[in-house]
Amino acid sequence: MAAATLTEAEQLEVTRVCAQTSLLLLQHGAESALVESVSRRLGLALGVDAVEIALMANGITLATLCGDRSRTAVRRNQDRGINMHVVTEVQRTLLLAEAGRLDLAGVSRQLGAIKPVRYNRWLVSFMIGLSCACFARLALVSRGIQDDYGTPLLTFVASAVAMHLRQWLATFQFNPLINFAAAAFVATSIAAQGVLHRWVANPKFAMSACVLLFVPGFPLINAVSDMVKGFINTGISRGFIALLLLLASCAGILLAMTIWNTWTWL
Amino acid sequence: MDLAVITFSKLIEDAILTAVPAVGFAMLFNVPRGALMHCALGGALGHVLRLCLHQGAGMPIEWATLAAASVVSGVGVYWARAWRAHPKVFTVAAMIPMVPGVYAFTALLALIEIDRHGFTIDLMRTAVDNGLKALFIVTALAVGLAMPGLLYYRRRPVV
Repeated sequence: MAAATLTEAEQLEVTRVCAQTSLLLLQHGAESALVESVSRRLGLALGVDAVEIALMANGITLATLCGDRSRTAVRRNQDRGINMHVVTEVQRTLLLAEAGRLDLAGVSRQLGAIKPVRYNRWLVSFMIGLSCACFARLALVSRGIQDDYGTPLLTFVASAVAMHLRQWLATFQFNPLINFAAAAFVATSIAAQGVLHRWVANPKFAMSACVLLFVPGFPLINAVSDMVKGFINTGISRGFIALLLLLASCAGILLAMTIWNTWTWL
Repeated sequence: MDLAVITFSKLIEDAILTAVPAVGFAMLFNVPRGALMHCALGGALGHVLRLCLHQGAGMPIEWATLAAASVVSGVGVYWARAWRAHPKVFTVAAMIPMVPGVYAFTALLALIEIDRHGFTIDLMRTAVDNGLKALFIVTALAVGLAMPGLLYYRRRPVV
């Protein structure tokens, strides 16, 4: 057996750091292939012989091998919401470690300092409103309707309010399914007023565009990516989370359409 | 399908109307500020390309999506190298304008209608047509994004 290059205490610390890395990535919406490769490369850069990792939807199991010693860590995974800032910072820590510019203590310090920073809530609501307005305009243009600016405006109001509600509800630690259903209800209710009071020329497009902020695009793409790359387990669970979020939004839409009696979708 | 004549002004409008959602959703995903520009460019490039291939050249929307996503992903690899971050950090946000949200919602709402009013062939057709479109477009997006890794990088990391 090859002699271990790290002391037992060092190996334990490497194991802890690798587990922290994969947990940070998994919690903030990185795809499984990335979680695996980053943790493995970090372990190798810090001097262990191999890193083995098993990913599940709500936990990770990670082992480092050093000579004939093996140390295993298990961590519980809780979804913290998609945050590409965290993913970027973890990746850069890895690149510094691989370049030899960070040692074990440095990596540990740098990972500990990563904060899941978020954009200002009002700014996000404004931009998401604008995005959905663009989607509404896109749908109008693709059907040859050029001079309707009221429908995008209505879409903007409905989705900006809904996005703000969604972010506000998230601060109370509600289940995301409840957030999505409630916010989709509000978005559709606002757009439905356009149908009822004939505020705009094509309210039907506002009704469909204002709920596009509830399409879990990131989890959907991650789900398929995971499965294509062989992580069928995490892929299926991500896909189901996405489907549940879509269904929750549908419940909100349906409730609003029933209350206001505006059946524009089908 | 009739092939549409795509004018330059239509392309510019399409680029702007898709760059904004790409940035908007990138902010929702907390993409770092420096990469937002890449999201905007990628979003516009992908959707304009899909528009040209689908409506201009008559390619089925799924294949057009796959081609557009592959190109954006390829460009994303260059940006990722320069920016020292995984390409998915900004390419996924760039895919958002192409995500089949309306198809997905229509399919699910049609299924719920079947539950409420009983089976009709029209509702079932709506559900299946839209559901399959949504499924295949999402698959095309994800496979397109994985294309550089599948064809060129294989077992090596991009960044």
